[in-house]
Amino acid sequence: MIFKFHKRVAVLALLLSLASVSAKAELAIIVNPQNPATKMFLSQVAQFYLGGSTLFSPVELPENSPARADFYKKVLEKEPAQVQAIWSKLLFTGKAKAPKEFKTGAEVKKYVSENQNAIGYIDKSAVDDSVKVVALVP
Amino acid sequence: MKKILLALMLLPALANAIDLDESGSLKLTGFYSLTGAKVLSGSSQGSSAPWTYQQWKCPCTVQAWEYTGVYEKEKGWQFDQESLVGIQIKKEFSPTLSATAQFVSRALNPNEGSKPTVDWAYITWQPSVDSDFTFQAGRFRIPLYYYSDYLYIGYAYPWVRPAPDVYGWPIYAYNGANVSYRRQLGDSNWAMTAAAWTGSFTQKNNAYYTKIYYTTPTDDSWKKILGGSISVNNGIFDFRAMMMRHNETASQSDPTLGTTYIVKDQPTKIMGISANMDYKNWLIKSEIDRFEQVEPSLGINNVYKYALIGVGYNYGSLTPMYTYSQYTTVNEPIESRKTHVLSLRWDFMKNTSLKVQYDISKDKSRYPYKFFGDSKLLSVSVQGTF
Repeated sequence: MIFKFHKRVAVLALLLSLASVSAKAELAIIVNPQNPATKMFLSQVAQFYLGGSTLFSPVELPENSPARADFYKKVLEKEPAQVQAIWSKLLFTGKAKAPKEFKTGAEVKKYVSENQNAIGYIDKSAVDDSVKVVALVP
Repeated sequence: MKKILLALMLLPALANAIDLDESGSLKLTGFYSLTGAKVLSGSSQGSSAPWTYQQWKCPCTVQAWEYTGVYEKEKGWQFDQESLVGIQIKKEFSPTLSATAQFVSRALNPNEGSKPTVDWAYITWQPSVDSDFTFQAGRFRIPLYYYSDYLYIGYAYPWVRPAPDVYGWPIYAYNGANVSYRRQLGDSNWAMTAAAWTGSFTQKNNAYYTKIYYTTPTDDSWKKILGGSISVNNGIFDFRAMMMRHNETASQSDPTLGTTYIVKDQPTKIMGISANMDYKNWLIKSEIDRFEQVEPSLGINNVYKYALIGVGYNYGSLTPMYTYSQYTTVNEPIESRKTHVLSLRWDFMKNTSLKVQYDISKDKSRYPYKFFGDSKLLSVSVQGTF
């Protein structure tokens, strides 16, 4: 009896530890609290990062950041080369400027909290009152 | 050690636009294509015996109509017909006002040599930072067909160059103004862009007309250009329709004989529809276009039809693709061509792509003389941005 109980606890503990190791931080899509936007579909968010709409001014994290790689994969659903190709077309035909890049999530959060039409993505755990969440990236 | 680490951290930033001053409002970006190609074989009117078309020794193939880039079999591998480098400098005066200039230096430019030319130079203004409207004035490439205004930004499309059967005009730029309107369509994932442009452009000693067709120096002018386009995309499908009108004057001046007009203030219409898909690694690119210059009283019936369709697949950093393109004039003697293209793009490094392409092209023209003829072409190109 006792043996089985220990085994169950051991399995549970193993599962829990695995879960905490493999769980990636969720990303939160944030806008300025003053902005009227409330909820957005991720496909709508993607449009701001691919030049489809200039309603929001997109900001992003540096290329080597895991959050950016996650964002590209889950929200833009495109390889970095594809995104670069889209932005090259827009940049060299004068249609749009590429998203502003900041070095840290804290800088992204600060910019979004200070600019009414900015949109950005940060670790869900870093969200506070200075910004409003309009979507979550699983 | 700390300094080296700091420097290494900054390298990714350098991969983006280069800041030309501390304010961050003056940025430099650029693009390049290092393209080489070799005509493997060719024939005309059933014979592969070498012939001459205009200044070119054939078997040969025209791959860049605007600057008359033609590859000749006897020259083997040539890297001097399409290679180029472009630099773009943008100054942001405020979040709503900026000025941009784009200079391109080409290995082959019949009018300017390899001197950098000003391909784009314009001011951009928006009424407010989040406005749906953008206004621009200056010089631009004409956004005619889907790839027209970014014809030389190789990194942005899968092939070595967009089908020469469809792309390439005697006039490809305009001095004027444009307005664009961009918005999301309600709560859907569709985004829409509508654009309108107006202006004119004159190219004296137009290389396309002079070197490819008339031999006698020919000037070309497109005036009273008025064009519009509408595009919708939802991240998977991307549709575009455009229509443009202009008055064309193509003329040849002789010091003694005066001016001969090929067409004078001739109203012209160009239209096109494009449908593209990018879904679960599958790519489809297609378009159908038409040029119309009709004046029955003058016996002018210049109607040209163009089409292309391509299917590709993304295997990670590799994109193989098959594309078919064709064009035809309607009047006899007709000028017409059909081309099959196999291309492979390899995104082997950040902002850099390597492309290999094999074109099999058949000349369906019914000229009484040998034109460019049939050809098989192998092309290689490294294309990127910085």
